[in-house]
Amino acid sequence: MSPDKRTMTLNLTEQEMRVLEDLCVRKDVSKTALLRQALRLYQMVDARLGRGEKLFFEDEEKKKAELMVV
Amino acid sequence: MKFNTDPEWLERQAALEDNSYVSVGGFVWAVEELERRRPAAELTRAAFIRLLQLARRDRRLTLEQLSDKLDVELGELVGLETDEHYSPQPRTVKKIAEFLNVPAEKLFVLSGLTRAKDAHFEEAALRFAARSQPTEELSDEEHQALQDYVKFLCER
Amino acid sequence: MRTHVTIIDFKTAKPVEAEVFDEVTVDHFLEAQQEWRPIVLRAARELARRGARELIPQHLHWDWTSKAPQLNVLANIFYGVSYDGKLQGLMKVETVGEYCRCRLPEQDGKPLVYVDYLEVAPWNLKPLAEALGNTPRFKAVGSRLVEAAVLKSVEEEFKGRVGLHSLPMSEQFYLRVCGMTAVGRDVAKQNLLWLEYTPEQAGRFLSGVRKP
Repeated sequence: MSPDKRTMTLNLTEQEMRVLEDLCVRKDVSKTALLRQALRLYQMVDARLGRGEKLFFEDEEKKKAELMVV
Repeated sequence: MKFNTDPEWLERQAALEDNSYVSVGGFVWAVEELERRRPAAELTRAAFIRLLQLARRDRRLTLEQLSDKLDVELGELVGLETDEHYSPQPRTVKKIAEFLNVPAEKLFVLSGLTRAKDAHFEEAALRFAARSQPTEELSDEEHQALQDYVKFLCER
Repeated sequence: MRTHVTIIDFKTAKPVEAEVFDEVTVDHFLEAQQEWRPIVLRAARELARRGARELIPQHLHWDWTSKAPQLNVLANIFYGVSYDGKLQGLMKVETVGEYCRCRLPEQDGKPLVYVDYLEVAPWNLKPLAEALGNTPRFKAVGSRLVEAAVLKSVEEEFKGRVGLHSLPMSEQFYLRVCGMTAVGRDVAKQNLLWLEYTPEQAGRFLSGVRKP
């Protein structure tokens, strides 16, 4: 069903690996699945920023803070 | 992706899904769009109101004078002329038909009490309603529009 | 991806071979717009004329071609069902986005596949087909699309978790036919009902085992 898969090696710091593993536990997914999600999110955000949109987080008091994304 | 190949599963799903709507997505806009499209009954009602207004003004009658002449409640005529959604009594519509000298069954359709059987009738009603404006004195065009439309109602 | 599935031919009541595919293109959107939309509108007008307003489809003014810019976004996957080369159903799911998180307390915050849009060709919907004096063509197209969403969720390691906002007239399909859990009405999304699959419910739907 899926297109041909490609493989890469990913070098992470210890801290980054801990963050990755922690997220995987919380989201109940594998490292591969999580990083694929991260890639999709990055592409989506990048495309919308490229169109001039802005990305905000909103807290419970409805205060907005703009997220600066590379 | 391995889809279920069990024919019993398929049959059961098909039976359960039968007669269901399954759509997901885009809601409010669709409903509002439909609400903006006035159903045929409202369009013919506009023509009915316009016909009554023009005929009354053509004979220089106030609503009160017309209600006396027709022997119908003043409230009925006020409701008819001012409220698109007002539902008239069949007796009132019959009296108006006699006053205008048009077939009662045509006015029953125009008033929304019964349904039109053809699109041509609705189209003619719409064009008539569009040709007249709510001013005090009938213009020549309004007078002609009124005469033409009464003739149309009597002919069909 | 292109795979064979069976759907039911309404006339013969027998299974026939259709295809589910994810290589959806603008041409499919155009086909939906040109083939489906006029029939949906005609059926809606007929239902309105009969005074059966409760049967007027709530998706009557959709335009799939407006979704063309979303085709090349990784987070979006479009699925189609076709029979004999003719489109029978379309669906768009998201794997990343504001709705791709579970809300059921027992799986709160876990990722899910979100069904953003799902439409079945009007000739397959009984109320619309019958409004125009026809019998429906195929059954179970909707179920096959939901199945695709669940299988995608499994593929993504989301364990079959799927979520969606149902149109009011489709709620019973997702509740009773698909066996999803109604979590609550979403005030931020036109008060539409939010429904979700747990892994167990998704598994039951896929295998056809009914809850005792």
